[in-house]
Amino acid sequence: MITLQDVTKRYNQVIAVNRLSLHVPAGAIFGFIGPNGAGKTTTIKMLGGLIAPDAGSVHIKGISMKDEPEKAKKIIGFIPDRPYLYEKLTGMEFLKFIADLYGMNPVSFRDKALSMLERFSLIDWKDELIEAYSHGMRQRLIMAAAILHDPEIIIVDEPMVGLDPAGIRMVKQLFQELADAGVSFFLSTHTLSIAQDLCHRIGVIQHGKLIATGTLNDLQVQSGATSGDLESVFLKLTREESLGYVHPPPSPGSRP
Amino acid sequence: MSDILVLLRPRVLSFRNAKNSSAARLLVFGGLGAAFWGGIFTVSLRILDYFQSIEELGDILAWKLLSMVIIIYFSLLIFSSILTALSKLYLSRDLMLVHAMPVPARKIFLARWIESAMDSSWMIIIFTLPVLVSYGVIYSGDPWYFLLILLVMLFLSATASIISAIVVMITVIIIPPGRIKSIFIFLGLLLFLLLYMAFRLIRPERLVDPEAFSTALAYLSIIETPSSPLLPTTWAFNALMTALTGRAASSAMDIFLLMAFAGLMISVAVIIADAFYARGVSKSQTARKTLFGRRSFDLLPRLLFFLPRPVQAYTVKEIRTFFRDQTQWSQIFLIGALIVIYIYNFKVLPLERSPMPTVYLQNLLSFLNMGLAAFVLTAVAGRFAYPAVSTEGESFWLVRAAPIRIRAFLWIKFFIYFVPLMILTQILIIATNLLLQVTPFMMVLSVTTMMLVVPAVVALGIGLGAAYPDFNAENPTQVVTGFGGLVFMMLAAVYITVIIVLQASPVYYIFMSGLFDRDLPMTRWIWIVGSFMLILLLSVLTIVCPMLYGERRLSGLGRDM
Repeated sequence: MITLQDVTKRYNQVIAVNRLSLHVPAGAIFGFIGPNGAGKTTTIKMLGGLIAPDAGSVHIKGISMKDEPEKAKKIIGFIPDRPYLYEKLTGMEFLKFIADLYGMNPVSFRDKALSMLERFSLIDWKDELIEAYSHGMRQRLIMAAAILHDPEIIIVDEPMVGLDPAGIRMVKQLFQELADAGVSFFLSTHTLSIAQDLCHRIGVIQHGKLIATGTLNDLQVQSGATSGDLESVFLKLTREESLGYVHPPPSPGSRP
Repeated sequence: MSDILVLLRPRVLSFRNAKNSSAARLLVFGGLGAAFWGGIFTVSLRILDYFQSIEELGDILAWKLLSMVIIIYFSLLIFSSILTALSKLYLSRDLMLVHAMPVPARKIFLARWIESAMDSSWMIIIFTLPVLVSYGVIYSGDPWYFLLILLVMLFLSATASIISAIVVMITVIIIPPGRIKSIFIFLGLLLFLLLYMAFRLIRPERLVDPEAFSTALAYLSIIETPSSPLLPTTWAFNALMTALTGRAASSAMDIFLLMAFAGLMISVAVIIADAFYARGVSKSQTARKTLFGRRSFDLLPRLLFFLPRPVQAYTVKEIRTFFRDQTQWSQIFLIGALIVIYIYNFKVLPLERSPMPTVYLQNLLSFLNMGLAAFVLTAVAGRFAYPAVSTEGESFWLVRAAPIRIRAFLWIKFFIYFVPLMILTQILIIATNLLLQVTPFMMVLSVTTMMLVVPAVVALGIGLGAAYPDFNAENPTQVVTGFGGLVFMMLAAVYITVIIVLQASPVYYIFMSGLFDRDLPMTRWIWIVGSFMLILLLSVLTIVCPMLYGERRLSGLGRDM
């Protein structure tokens, strides 16, 4: 569903993403983790068609983001980390705006929008201006907007920022349901517990390069970490990569 | 004091670290600023020189002008300071960060007031300076006078900004800040409209024609206005006038009064800040209410049913956000005032007293009116069309993530602004031509020309606005003051001038042949057709090129979204 081939992006002298290649199959939740400034958000923006790579290609369900960006974007639901929205629209008006842009059926829109607002606990706020929404409510509205047009792929940057515990649980459940229905997820996060709970596969990026990828078990093997949690694996992988050991030999007993 | 300096440091450091001041920008801005400064200085010198040539009355006129300059300076400062103080003290983005720090409210107030005073007054000071310097040149002022200019400006600016800050602090306790801003903007526009109408109704052109008055006494009474000895503007005026007429001691007394008053007002403000500032900030954190609320424009999508859905979505969004933002819709009053004043000016033109044939003058004015209306259009487009892309602000990611091309997005923006601006310009042109009673040829020519000029100027605005967007700007007026805005204004001026110049001789030939009922030779017709074709070509290029340039630049953006 999502294929990145040798994708590179530079900002002046800095290489933000360096020859990144990845494939996410249908119905998979792919977690993308890495330290600050590793290139996660840049990758997410290239996937969403917000910025173009300097080299390499991005394909969404076989559609080239470079050649047919509108067609590719039509099947994506994009959720950024910072919930900037049109402050002077109401929640319902914002959903209608998105529905019109994505060419949704106007007849079924209202029922669909209301059920989304209900699910994201925004129904009482649907006619309030977005400027009155809290950070978490804006994040929930963006999520509702992103899945409103039934996307086949959802790209999420930091999904749980600003959400309360109930919201986090609801979003986790929703993502799982959608993945079961065949929707693919590309999810970037710093919250390792979320990646561990939710993701089928995880990629670790550092200095713009993919340093490890696979299931949690695969990563444990690659890192040689003894502890089972993703945090230990992540710290070990990223620490050793910065020391120059990209593929260190497993050393039983070593601690992150 | 050290706390205040620390609070001011981010501003100083941000200014120092700003990377947008390239040599080219500095050169363009510096050059334009210097030219404008020089222009004001030259005009002031000429006016004062002319006053000097009028026996007895000359000095009276010069002092009258000086007192008017000071009053206008002070009034502008008060109004500008109110808006700046409101933004700095209650509406800026870093407010929560600053108020979370262990610093007393009065110190935060003082730091914010210093910033606000500088922001609101630096430009007014720079462009008032040439007027006051020209007085020193004409009246051979000594070094004391020139030092006094700086002191007067400094203390008047401090006084105006601190009075504004006090007014704002007290008002915020009664009315929420979001509302105050719109109230002040509305009152300001109303005041501007009333003042201008009053000014036009007085017919100031008569003031330069003393013969129109039966006696010198009547003339003097017209220019005489009372000034209270208790006003800071009176002390400022007296300080400067007495310094120029060799009474240094008296001017020292006036400047001392001005300084002491500024100091007193600062102390009063600090006391008020201790009592009210923190409370006001707390009050300002509530959601703002808008006049055009959530139920407004519910029928809009139905009214625009004929548009393709993405176009409809953007149009509806644009109209809703425009009318729910007080700082935006209130400016419609300004445009309304502009139309009234513009048309009124043509109504009062004394054409019948002109030595030239009326029909010739009417059509000449109509021709020049095309240029004038195009410049008005440029100003309005600069305010609305140019910032159209930047007003997407940090929500611009929605545009990039949506299944719509940047080209389509820009053309949607183009049409959203093209339609109302075309209506506005045609109203100006048709109404003024009707008042001038021009020939049908001039009417058709004006209307047709504007059909080319309006899309060209709007495309220039949208295209350059997309090429130089400022997604972090807190308001649209801030956007147009940047480099791209300046380029837009300059290119629009060049385009309009070229169009007018290209039309001048063909229009003259056609008009004269019609007036004297003569046939035009073939060479003239070729010239005329060539000129109009060139105008058409130039207009098409002015529509297409900026839009393509804007699209290319905007598509290349990415990191800062």
